[in-house]
Amino acid sequence: MLKTVNLQKKYTTDEVETTALVNVNLNVRQGEFVAIMGPSGCGKSTLLNIIGLLDNPTSGEFFFLEKEISKFSERQRANLRKEHLGFVFQSFNLIDELTVYENVELPLIYLKVSNAERKQRVEQVLEQMQIAHRRNHFPQQLSGGQQQRVAIARAVVSKPKLLLADEPTGNLDSAHGQEVMQLLSSLNEQGTTIVMVTHSPTDADYAHRIVNLFDGQIISENVKELAIL
Amino acid sequence: MFKNYFLVAVRTLRRNLGYTMLNVIGLALGITCSLLLFLVIRHELSYDTFHSKADRIYRINVDKITANGPEDNAGTPFPMLATIKASLPELSPATHLYNAEGGTFTIVSNNDRVPAKKFREEKNVLFVEPAFFDLFDFPTNGVNAKQALKDVNTVLLTQTIADRFFPGENPVGKVLRMDNVVNLKVTGVIPDAPENTDLPYVMLIDYESSKKINTFMNDTWNSTNSNQQVYFAMAPEASVKQAEDRLNQITSKYRRISPGEQERYTFQPITQVHFDERYGNFTGRTISKTTLWALGLIGMFLVLVASINFVNLATAQALRRAKEVGMRKVLGASKPQLMTQFLCETGLITLVALLLSVVFAELLLPFLNQLLELQISFSILRDAQMLLFLLVVLVAVTFFAGFYPALVISGFQPISALKSKVATARVAGLSLRRTLVVVQFTICQVLIICTIIVHNQMEYFRSASLGFDQEAIVNIPVPAGKAGDLMALRSQLESHSAVKATSFAIAPPSANIDMNSSFQYDDFSVNRNFSVNLKLADENYLKTFGIPLLAGRMYEKSDTMQEFVVNETFLEKVGVKDPQEAVGKKLLVNGGQTEGKIVGVVKDYHLSSLRNEIPPVVMSTMTQVYFYLNAKIEQKNAKAALAHLQNVWQTAYPDDVFYYEFFDDSLARFYEEEQRQAHLFKVFSFIAIVIGCLGLYGLVSFMVAQRTKEVGVRKVLGASSASIVGLFSADFVKLVLIAFVIAGPISYYFMDKWLQDFTYRIDIGYWVFLAAGALTLFIALTTVSVQALRAAFSNPVRALKTE
Repeated sequence: MLKTVNLQKKYTTDEVETTALVNVNLNVRQGEFVAIMGPSGCGKSTLLNIIGLLDNPTSGEFFFLEKEISKFSERQRANLRKEHLGFVFQSFNLIDELTVYENVELPLIYLKVSNAERKQRVEQVLEQMQIAHRRNHFPQQLSGGQQQRVAIARAVVSKPKLLLADEPTGNLDSAHGQEVMQLLSSLNEQGTTIVMVTHSPTDADYAHRIVNLFDGQIISENVKELAIL
Repeated sequence: MFKNYFLVAVRTLRRNLGYTMLNVIGLALGITCSLLLFLVIRHELSYDTFHSKADRIYRINVDKITANGPEDNAGTPFPMLATIKASLPELSPATHLYNAEGGTFTIVSNNDRVPAKKFREEKNVLFVEPAFFDLFDFPTNGVNAKQALKDVNTVLLTQTIADRFFPGENPVGKVLRMDNVVNLKVTGVIPDAPENTDLPYVMLIDYESSKKINTFMNDTWNSTNSNQQVYFAMAPEASVKQAEDRLNQITSKYRRISPGEQERYTFQPITQVHFDERYGNFTGRTISKTTLWALGLIGMFLVLVASINFVNLATAQALRRAKEVGMRKVLGASKPQLMTQFLCETGLITLVALLLSVVFAELLLPFLNQLLELQISFSILRDAQMLLFLLVVLVAVTFFAGFYPALVISGFQPISALKSKVATARVAGLSLRRTLVVVQFTICQVLIICTIIVHNQMEYFRSASLGFDQEAIVNIPVPAGKAGDLMALRSQLESHSAVKATSFAIAPPSANIDMNSSFQYDDFSVNRNFSVNLKLADENYLKTFGIPLLAGRMYEKSDTMQEFVVNETFLEKVGVKDPQEAVGKKLLVNGGQTEGKIVGVVKDYHLSSLRNEIPPVVMSTMTQVYFYLNAKIEQKNAKAALAHLQNVWQTAYPDDVFYYEFFDDSLARFYEEEQRQAHLFKVFSFIAIVIGCLGLYGLVSFMVAQRTKEVGVRKVLGASSASIVGLFSADFVKLVLIAFVIAGPISYYFMDKWLQDFTYRIDIGYWVFLAAGALTLFIALTTVSVQALRAAFSNPVRALKTE
């Protein structure tokens, strides 16, 4: 699904050059659930942003769906994003001015999906996330767990091949956190590839493979040989 | 997609209601002004454009250069029309018309026992030939106007006059007596003259009848009267220049020109008549294209100032939208899509402002009409030009105000946007916002400086000494040629204690009546290349108007020209230094027909508005041409005095209608147009300042919100409230000063040019600029302080908790 070869990322200001990623080689296969762990500032989010096509690497190669895309333009990346990627953030990032329904509908609007099909797909995913009864509420009227379920609904409504989650349970209490992780896990079982950044070992347990990052380098990978599938 | 944009826009705007209101009200104010100015400009540009031949109708003017300077006017000698018809066939149809200005109308009744009803019309009594209707397309409502004025002694009444003279009756067939001289049969009623014509009329009378009214009319080439004008249509393929040349060849054979003088007859397109003050027109009102440009520019500036508010507020507020933008980008929105979204939002605000401004304009139009003495109206849905104008404003404002904020906001990097890491300074486009604020301040200051200068010049007009008394003097017209009747009753006129002095004269000292004459001074051997202004008045004139003598005495009572009094300028022009020296010298005037002695010299006084220089004046007596009784009365007994004057007047003229005007009112009319401009300047600069303040207020409130934490820290560290206010103010003081440096020279340049139109004018003192700068500074600081104080007085603990 995706492969990075000697990926590097440097941030340069007038005086300081900070290296965020050093020669990262990561390979994620179709259907995998990968957790990226590491202390604050180790480059987890930077890596996720590059994988999510929100950022460009300074050097190295990045293959996504067999294509080398590290030199893609903003517009090309935007197109790939909306067709193949879904995002879940720690702070949900729902649009406050839109209702639950309208938030979930938004990616389909950008994909120019027809009105009828949009309605059907949104309803379906809201049911699946058990949030349909809140469809006309605004984000501020929901609990954190509910907001994250809406965010996940929005991330998967376009049926992305790859779901990226940046500390999805970071703002939730443990009960709601567990709920969200179970949702992600079941999405993975249904075939969605997931890459998740997390601090929480409990969350990481849901993944097939844990990649440990330190000072911008992959220092170890733990593969759980579980016969889940 | 657009539904989604719309939803978000409406909800965002509702959430930030304060911000939305600032924007909408500011924009609405700006657009309202531009809309009103659009209406005014369109109205002014529409004068006489409704005639089907408008593009080829011309008026004959004369450009004359005399030693006293240019004397341009639109009067033509009587034989002009016949000459054109005989020699210039391409000028067809051609017609002359005469404006009697006013007249007294008596309804001739068959019943002697019923007292005759009398009316006084002050202006726009127009005498026209049947060809008038071939040339112009005035509304006649089906009346065959050409036929109706075919015969002599006929009149067409406008609806308003018909209703006034003959309420509830059909006036057709009735007879009116004008000025007790000529009977006119009403042959029809036509609609009122359109507002937008420079040939306004309250009634149209057959041209032949004017010969009995216009006692000055003679059929020679050497008498002109600016109320006697010629209009014609030029054949489509004919050359204006060639026709002008041929006409001047012909006229030069007949016209007698004083040595040193030059004149040329020129053709003025009817569509230009409204804009050229040199020749004037029958409305008594011209407006220069420059003024129209200035008004248009002000309209644009007001919209610009309001749009700048929008840009400033929107970019300052951009941070609040960062998360939304970030998320939309993550979901695959492209930059053009986001720009479209934000432009739509601006469009929505502009649309709301636009609708609001249409309502405002509708509400304010009556006041504007009153201010400008116009009758402009509009009905938006039936007015294609107006809709187009609004559409242009909508698109222009949306793009101008929305483009930059949209560009900035849609350019956010998604990751930083989501993490609210977009740097304040970058988002805010701080230098751009500063520049825009400078532009705003500059516009405001230019307007303030212009307003002060225009106001001062108006005050100068009001207060400048004209060389004569103007207070508590009434001007009462007397019927032409009949001044003697009332002069016989002079002792009766002055018998009332509230009547201080009376004088009969051709006109009060400053009036638009000029009689020019060539002259010979002293030994008659020197040919002077300038003419003198003949001021004909009785022996009480100087006393009544308080004009001082410099030498000699006032002339004696007489009905004809016997003795002369001249003014200082006259002496200067003939090269006499000592006024005493002129006393006793011989003078020949009136085309060499009248000889007499100079008996006195008066101090210079103004003969017309302060736009013009004082000409050389020769005063003398001539009862035949006295048109006015001027009476100096006691202000506090004005009512009694007027009643007494009317009483005596009516004894002398039982068949005429008494009316009067206070002298200072008629003097004020000289500057009506400038007064209107002054009012407009005041209103619009005030609005510009209000809009500017709205923007500033919004801008500072965002700055304060963004720097809440900084203010908290500073306060914890011991900063005083004053220093916090200073923190926010310092920046704006700098901007005001920069704007001041720009605004000063710009406004000086334009106002200096404007003042050049007046021979007598104020000096532009440096204090005007200082005052304008100080005023702007004061307004800006007040606006800033209101917000800054709120930050300064806030509890630092709460401020620090906002993170």
